[in-house]
Amino acid sequence: MSENTVNLTIDGRAVVAPKGMNLIEAAKLAGIEVPHYCYHPKLSIVGNCRMCLVDVGMPKLGPDKQPQIGPDGKPVIVFGPKLLIACNTPVAEGMVVHTRSPKVQKAREGVMEFLLINHPLDCPICDQAGECRLQEYSVDYGRAESRFTEDKVHKPKKTPLGPKITLDDERCILCSRCIRFMKELAGQDCLGFVQRGSHSTLTCYPGHEPNTNYDLNIVDLCPVGALTSNDFRFQQRVWFLKETKSICPHCATGCNTVLWSREGIVYRQTPRENPSVNQCWMCDEGRLHYKFINDSRRLTLPTANGTPISWAEAVEQVAAKWRATEAQAIIGSARATTEELFLLKQLGGETAPAVVVPHLGEGDKWLLNADRTPNMAGAKLLGFGTNVARIADGIRAGAIRALMVLGEDPLEEELLARLELLVVLDILPSRATRAAHYVLPSATFAEKQGTFINAKGRIQRLNAAIAPLARPDWQILAGLLRGTGTAKYETIEDVFADMARVIPSLSGLSLSKISDQGVEVAL
Amino acid sequence: MILPVELEHHIDEIITHYPPQHKRAAVLWLCHLLQEHFGFLGDEQVKWIADKLGLPPINVWEIVTFYPMFTQKPLGQFHIKLCRTLSCHLAGSPTLLQRLANLDPNQFTVSTVECLALCGSGPAMMINDATFERVTPAKLDAILTRLQTTGKLESQPLQPPLPAHPLEKRVLLANLARPGYTGSLADYECEGGYQALRKARTMNPDDIIQEVADSQLRGRGGAGFPTGLKWRFLDKKSGKSVYLICNADESEPGTFKDRQIIHYDPHQLLEGILISCHAIGARVAYIYIRGEMPDGAKTLLHAIEEARARGYVGNGVEIYVHRGAGAYICGEETGLIESLEGKRPYPRIKPPFPASVGLFGCPTAVNNVETLANIPHIIRHGANWYKTMGVTGSTGTRLLCVSGPVKQPGCYEFEMGKLTMRQLIYDVCGGLQDGRQLKGVIPGGSSMPVLTPDQIDVPLDFESLRKAGTMAGSGGVIVLDDSVDIVEATLNLAQFYAHESCGQCTPCREGTLWMEKMLHRMRDGRGRPQDVELLYDVADNIDGKTICPLGEAAAWPVKAFVTKYRAEFEKHV
Repeated sequence: MSENTVNLTIDGRAVVAPKGMNLIEAAKLAGIEVPHYCYHPKLSIVGNCRMCLVDVGMPKLGPDKQPQIGPDGKPVIVFGPKLLIACNTPVAEGMVVHTRSPKVQKAREGVMEFLLINHPLDCPICDQAGECRLQEYSVDYGRAESRFTEDKVHKPKKTPLGPKITLDDERCILCSRCIRFMKELAGQDCLGFVQRGSHSTLTCYPGHEPNTNYDLNIVDLCPVGALTSNDFRFQQRVWFLKETKSICPHCATGCNTVLWSREGIVYRQTPRENPSVNQCWMCDEGRLHYKFINDSRRLTLPTANGTPISWAEAVEQVAAKWRATEAQAIIGSARATTEELFLLKQLGGETAPAVVVPHLGEGDKWLLNADRTPNMAGAKLLGFGTNVARIADGIRAGAIRALMVLGEDPLEEELLARLELLVVLDILPSRATRAAHYVLPSATFAEKQGTFINAKGRIQRLNAAIAPLARPDWQILAGLLRGTGTAKYETIEDVFADMARVIPSLSGLSLSKISDQGVEVAL
Repeated sequence: MILPVELEHHIDEIITHYPPQHKRAAVLWLCHLLQEHFGFLGDEQVKWIADKLGLPPINVWEIVTFYPMFTQKPLGQFHIKLCRTLSCHLAGSPTLLQRLANLDPNQFTVSTVECLALCGSGPAMMINDATFERVTPAKLDAILTRLQTTGKLESQPLQPPLPAHPLEKRVLLANLARPGYTGSLADYECEGGYQALRKARTMNPDDIIQEVADSQLRGRGGAGFPTGLKWRFLDKKSGKSVYLICNADESEPGTFKDRQIIHYDPHQLLEGILISCHAIGARVAYIYIRGEMPDGAKTLLHAIEEARARGYVGNGVEIYVHRGAGAYICGEETGLIESLEGKRPYPRIKPPFPASVGLFGCPTAVNNVETLANIPHIIRHGANWYKTMGVTGSTGTRLLCVSGPVKQPGCYEFEMGKLTMRQLIYDVCGGLQDGRQLKGVIPGGSSMPVLTPDQIDVPLDFESLRKAGTMAGSGGVIVLDDSVDIVEATLNLAQFYAHESCGQCTPCREGTLWMEKMLHRMRDGRGRPQDVELLYDVADNIDGKTICPLGEAAAWPVKAFVTKYRAEFEKHV
């Protein structure tokens, strides 16, 4: 034992654990799973599911307060008369824990049986199937057959908890994770149990439904299919979905996410754990903001004055015209990746004014940043300003005659009409795409690789969940740079490597070094 | 929704009984008072209470729906509450229930309730706040007729305590049966009451704790934990207030001893509380009394005011009465604390223990009524005197409650261990009623494993009963005779525990109702051969796996009855 750690044995394996750690976490250090429902590392401990019961023994102390040594030369271990819940048992020096003894197995089997006796046979219609802890632990720790032949307790099956969530009380195992989350983290104490005993029912008071920007986290937390997101309810079976690690583009916090997709369609977004950014949460606004990816109005073909042309023609013509037209300006987006902004800036050269468009909203005290763009830090690092009005004035005065716009729509038609050359890269139709001489349809964050730098200076990377419906901006821009003779990039790694060479904060980094958890850089 | 001014003032005063940042604790009182006034607790009432206490309405609704004494809809003018638990059931409450069918629902609402702590004088019944004992069909008819004709509810005086039996040693019950004793402060002081308090207030608090520890007094609520040791565990260094809670939630089926002290000698309890407060440094004590003892609450409130007038209460120590609303789980000390704090009475996981983190997060001692009633005697006469009574490991006297078909059921007091179960049943209680044979006896409240007739020579102390495979428990002795169907009795208790389970943890929440359903099927003749083993296994899966001892309390009777009377179960499958 040192100042901050203790030594203990779990299933025969020696473990060194920090003082104060509970046995579920300590077992994880040893690669051992202790099954549990109600425990969650970010919520208060209630110990009500009883699934994490383990057998705990401590060294027997002699009259000298030192461990007694047995005939085998090892400390004599005395096990308690009852199993203890691992979630509420802190590690102790010399502790011996059995997580798979027959006594523990019988206890787990018992708990599983109890959980299932009143549970409805909803698997065929329940969203949670495939990611349900009742299913998983049944296979790992439960009985093969049911011994229950009585009538099940019935409860309401379709209670709305606000407009985003539907509650099925029969499926609820009363772990209280959702109640604790709403009270302790979301700041709205609105969920509770009514009635008593086996008839206890989760609910909210009519007229006082959950209405925070974090409600949908309770759907993630729910170990079973009691809480379902209306957005995802009945949409897909989870085992058909591909999981892709990504970053939420809704604000400058950059919550780490997983995109769940199948055959080119994204079905939902969930948070991914990152202790430095969002722990394991995300806000509802960000979570639900993904339907634009598969919007039926997505632009897919390049156009010249409204007429579709091929990509090769489009890149060639735009490159040529851009090189030929003077008095250029660039409007980029703080929603574009760092790589894309890097390439875009090069197209403007040394002299063209380059701005991104700020988008501000109300920030909250938790994850939602007032800056509603994911990469303003990246844009600033690359030298983009935010004075859009200056560009508008320039166009009005005739000092700007060629404009390239990426992913934004800040100017009125009347101003856009004055331009000699307007090239727009975007995903959906806008005033700018309608006024443009050339439209180069681009890709959303879900269809490309690249990075965002969040408000705290963490560079995090995107991955492509689905094949692009059009073409990732960085590829378009790389093509234009080749066409204008400015630069040659083959892969995204080439782009990043060049960027890291030029921007001191990124020196030494690569896309793979950024990893799935991101890296802090100087802003 | 407007409240009369006096009611609102009363409510404001009650809220001051709790620390300002813990106003939520007043929710049970506010529910009682509003229900008394409006007859029910609907949306308006819930919202009013929520506003008053600064709570979201869900937190009030959680309370209203948990406790059976609260109703969300108006009831008939007279709410008849018939006890359905074992002793009253065996005394004939099912017959009474049949007679209560077909009453005018505007005038009457009929419910069955769980053990009312009147087991020795059952069948027991309450109508609104009035209590009735020994209710025969004829008596019931008379009560109903009077209600239907006059529309007025008259309570009936309860049976006065019996004079002492020669085998008894009365210390706690000494005053009760004295002719003319009213329980008033004047009467209590006539018999030497409050001398011990005056003595204690000159003593060093640690010396008081030492005296109680030396006496070897063990808790009388059911667990038998040494009282001095419990007080020693209190964290006096935290800088937080220390609280004393008197557990007057007496709800263990078969038990009705605390009721005697509360109703007939309340100052004995108050003196015990005041001395204990001095010993542990508590400036506030709460008496948590079960909601079904409204007269008890009134008696205590009155006694507290008498004590205040004499300067015993006030001046640095306050005693508040806090009424429960119909939940056995509030007898579990941490369930009680949660209930007192105004939350659903879900027992807490331990550690931490109440001695370090209890009421409002402060060090707290929770002691049973009878335990606290012993304190004045120990201080007045000394620990050595106390140890001359009883046997080693079980000093002093114990209140025992006997119910079932014996000739003289009732509440008695004996030196611990100086009496066997046989002597209790046959010598003190006069044996079974004519023509009946003993089939078994539950020694310490329904949660304790039953003893068979060949086991009744066990002396009634903690150790002897533990060695016999059961426990002294709450002292509620339930005698079972040969007319009792053991499966029916087990079903009755299973229904009690299923009804009382708070629902917090998986094994008890699901398992108790499962056992009830199985036993119901078996009792009705639809048992299957595998049911007996299954029943035992389900009980075993609850035993030792729960947050609080209600799991054991539900499992032990089933396991004991199935083990010791297996043939009867097998007859039912």
